[in-house]
Amino acid sequence: MKLKHVQELERLRSQLSSSNGRSEIVISADATCCILRGAKGVAEAFRTELQKAGLTDKVHLRLAGCLGFCEIEPMVILKARDILYQRVEPKDVPEIISESLLGGRVVERLLYVDPATGQKQARIEAVPFYGKQNRLILGANERIEPVRIEDYIAIDGYAALAKGLTMKPEAIIEEIKASGLRGRGGGGFPTGKKWETCRNAESEDGVRYIICNADEGDPGAYMDRSVLEANPHAVLEGMIIGSFAIGSHEGYVYVRNEYPLAVEHLALALRQAEEHGLLGENILGSSHDFRIKVVRGAGAFVCGESTALMQSLEGKVGRPRAKYVHTVERGLYDRPSDLNNVETWANVPLIIQRGASWFASIGTAGSKGTKIFSLVGKINNTGLVEVPMGIPLREIIFDIGGGIPGGKKFKAVQTGGPSGGCIPERLLDIPVDYDELTKAGSMMGSGGMIVMDEDTCMVDVARYFLNFLKGESCGKCVACREGVRRMLEILERITAGEGRLEDLDTLLELGEYLQDTALCALGTTAANPVLTTLKYFRHEYEAHIGERYCAAGVCKPLFQYVISAETCTGCQVCAKRCPVEAISGEKKGPHRINLETCTKCGACFEACRYEAIEKARIKERVA
Amino acid sequence: MAKTSVKSKAPAAGKTTASRKAAPAKRPRPATRPAAAAGGNGKGKPLGSVLVVGAGIAGIQSSLDLAESGYKVYLVEKNPSIGGVMTMLDKTFPTNDCSMCIVSPKLVEAARHNNIELLSYAEVDKVQGQAGRFKIEVRKKARSVDLAKCTGCGACAAACPVDQRIRVPEPIPVEADETVVKTDAIMDRYPPQRASLIMVLQDVNAAFNYLPEPALLRISERLALPYAEVYGTASFYKAFSLEPRGEHLVQVCVGTACHVRGAQRILEEFERLLSVKSGMTTEDRKFTLETVNCLGACALGPIVVVDGEYHGSLNLARVSRLVDNYAKKESA
Repeated sequence: MKLKHVQELERLRSQLSSSNGRSEIVISADATCCILRGAKGVAEAFRTELQKAGLTDKVHLRLAGCLGFCEIEPMVILKARDILYQRVEPKDVPEIISESLLGGRVVERLLYVDPATGQKQARIEAVPFYGKQNRLILGANERIEPVRIEDYIAIDGYAALAKGLTMKPEAIIEEIKASGLRGRGGGGFPTGKKWETCRNAESEDGVRYIICNADEGDPGAYMDRSVLEANPHAVLEGMIIGSFAIGSHEGYVYVRNEYPLAVEHLALALRQAEEHGLLGENILGSSHDFRIKVVRGAGAFVCGESTALMQSLEGKVGRPRAKYVHTVERGLYDRPSDLNNVETWANVPLIIQRGASWFASIGTAGSKGTKIFSLVGKINNTGLVEVPMGIPLREIIFDIGGGIPGGKKFKAVQTGGPSGGCIPERLLDIPVDYDELTKAGSMMGSGGMIVMDEDTCMVDVARYFLNFLKGESCGKCVACREGVRRMLEILERITAGEGRLEDLDTLLELGEYLQDTALCALGTTAANPVLTTLKYFRHEYEAHIGERYCAAGVCKPLFQYVISAETCTGCQVCAKRCPVEAISGEKKGPHRINLETCTKCGACFEACRYEAIEKARIKERVA
Repeated sequence: MAKTSVKSKAPAAGKTTASRKAAPAKRPRPATRPAAAAGGNGKGKPLGSVLVVGAGIAGIQSSLDLAESGYKVYLVEKNPSIGGVMTMLDKTFPTNDCSMCIVSPKLVEAARHNNIELLSYAEVDKVQGQAGRFKIEVRKKARSVDLAKCTGCGACAAACPVDQRIRVPEPIPVEADETVVKTDAIMDRYPPQRASLIMVLQDVNAAFNYLPEPALLRISERLALPYAEVYGTASFYKAFSLEPRGEHLVQVCVGTACHVRGAQRILEEFERLLSVKSGMTTEDRKFTLETVNCLGACALGPIVVVDGEYHGSLNLARVSRLVDNYAKKESA
């Protein structure tokens, strides 16, 4: 149905909301990680069971996208009873329906258990993970099915667009500027200013492009995937408003190739929006035309950089160029091009609908609104969290994240992906905003937050990131191509136990050169992981070099596995598991590891149930 | 071009004698001429002349240096034009600088320098004498063009009916085998323009599980892009494989979240069990092992995708089971 006027949209909305009075069951079923955990099977089971019970008319089953708390998915929420069930399997479904939905009782074993207190929680609000969040963007996920535009319209979707089309383009830009919205992709450039420059930039034929950067390359960050999968229309609406404000008629979404479901949902959303007259010619009866194309990336991290991304859109090799002339003036096909991140676009409808002052009331002086982080790594509550800017890191990690699993000790949190840095425990009270994180030597980045515990070796982490960047450097500028490689060689030497103390000075020096001389942001920030770990964890580097010891037991040449004779029960599991037959010993007697043949694969360490195998310092070194 | 009297005697074929003091290029400052050191900057008058054989980049640079320090230089080149091999190359080792950008200013300078006399399309016949005093005979081949008037416009070459011009090579037609037919079907879905290249490559890669050479040639032909461009793009992006992959594609996620949860050990276990390194295919073409930077499913780390199926929360024991299961399975 093509909507030819704002009033038609409103009429459709009122019809949709009035027909939605049924009791609801929400399943987190239509997102990559939920599907991996078998959510499709759960959804199917609900469908058949509801049919059997003859409840299809009375109960509305909603297959929502990501609900954020990946650790306990698939989640099922019974709206009418206000009950949240975690890790539901298909076999639990009949019980949920008969006991809970019809009987009004609670299925205790499926409730969420707070690991800190051991208490069971039935209400979603009582779960600490959701307690301190402010889910402006992610909150909608629970209320819609990503594949149904009707759901989005029913929750006031495209109302911001309708409002925007009645405004002057300049007024929209003023509104975005006043809101203080900054780029959520990492750089933190003020969005309104970017739009204004793009609108005013000279274009020979008047063509301007709008681009959505969904090339979420930072390892450990997946908020963009989640937003695109769960609520693609929010991003589209933001882009359409942006196109109207900037005066563009052609837009692109550049999505990572590794996100097939996001591409699928996005393509579907595009088709629906076109059918409803929200994209294409004369949007909602106005004189504004706008079209969007989806382009898949091809697995190059550097293509998240604006100039490289635009090269790639043109079908070329994604190599960045120096930005003497910014892409907002000359970008894609040499036309003014506005590039914003998925999350930035998703914020736009909220600002237009609820006003700049409302948005600006959330957050800190320099960073407004909320930010989505993917809280991953060694953390109890892995998931996507959306918090107001300015919340201390400690609250994210310990209150929302529930701390470190297995009673281990927190060591560092890595933010900002390969361009960011590692923040140690003593800085955990800094508020999360663009400027504070930069001051700590890290950066906001796209929002990956990787928690590391005592079993993580910081030298190895630095080596890991450089190895990543070595592979992803496009090779155009010498500083990045050669500098990263040389730094990696030094770190490999250190993790192999052949480091020298003067290496640390060389690393610092090379790192500073990189910051000063590399062509694009990938290169200038490439040294951050090394520089921050050197700054906050220098003692680990020195232990690797001076004592030839990796306390975390990660760098293989710098520790050895030893079986404690007292604790070993002689169960022989480790000996069976050892791929190189390096473990010997009588049954029920203490075992020994032959250090000559041991490859330190860790199979025995993993297999031992009595914690009898330890990672120990190498005492005598064979020269 | 400024011509000396030596030339005017023999405009066509014949022998020219450069009978002044001449030294080979390798020894620009013979011991017999101590005046050279003082004579560089036009104060003392430099003595004698030098003959340089071969007008490649080395010969041209030597000639220019010598001419700058005041010597008369005869630059002999057997080909009709100077510049040598460097003018035919795209880049120079190790800096990847553009060759023509380096050499062409020197070509112009050598041609215009008053102290350099170009003897192109000529060869050294005879060398007499010793260091400090050489007598050299140079044979000039028939050129039948008055170099004093020629502007190098190339109109004569175009008009010549015998047609020995350098021609642009004709494209080699790609044989329409199965690969090409499939590629054509994919290409029909996209507008024939540069911007389609990556999308076409993605679909071709998905269809064949790698990018076969005939397909790349066909793409280059139909998009009217040089093959080098197509190949360069294909090799830049990680999603493309230029070699056939195995029946089962194992992708180990090495994102940061998986890394801190031990993805490295998982990868090493795969490498050990399959006896290949990451990025390689087993000899029996059963498995290809690759790494992927992040699948964005960090709650399930360490995670591996085999033939598009996700396997999360892996440990070493599960890796070997996984390999066994897929080894038994038929191709996906």
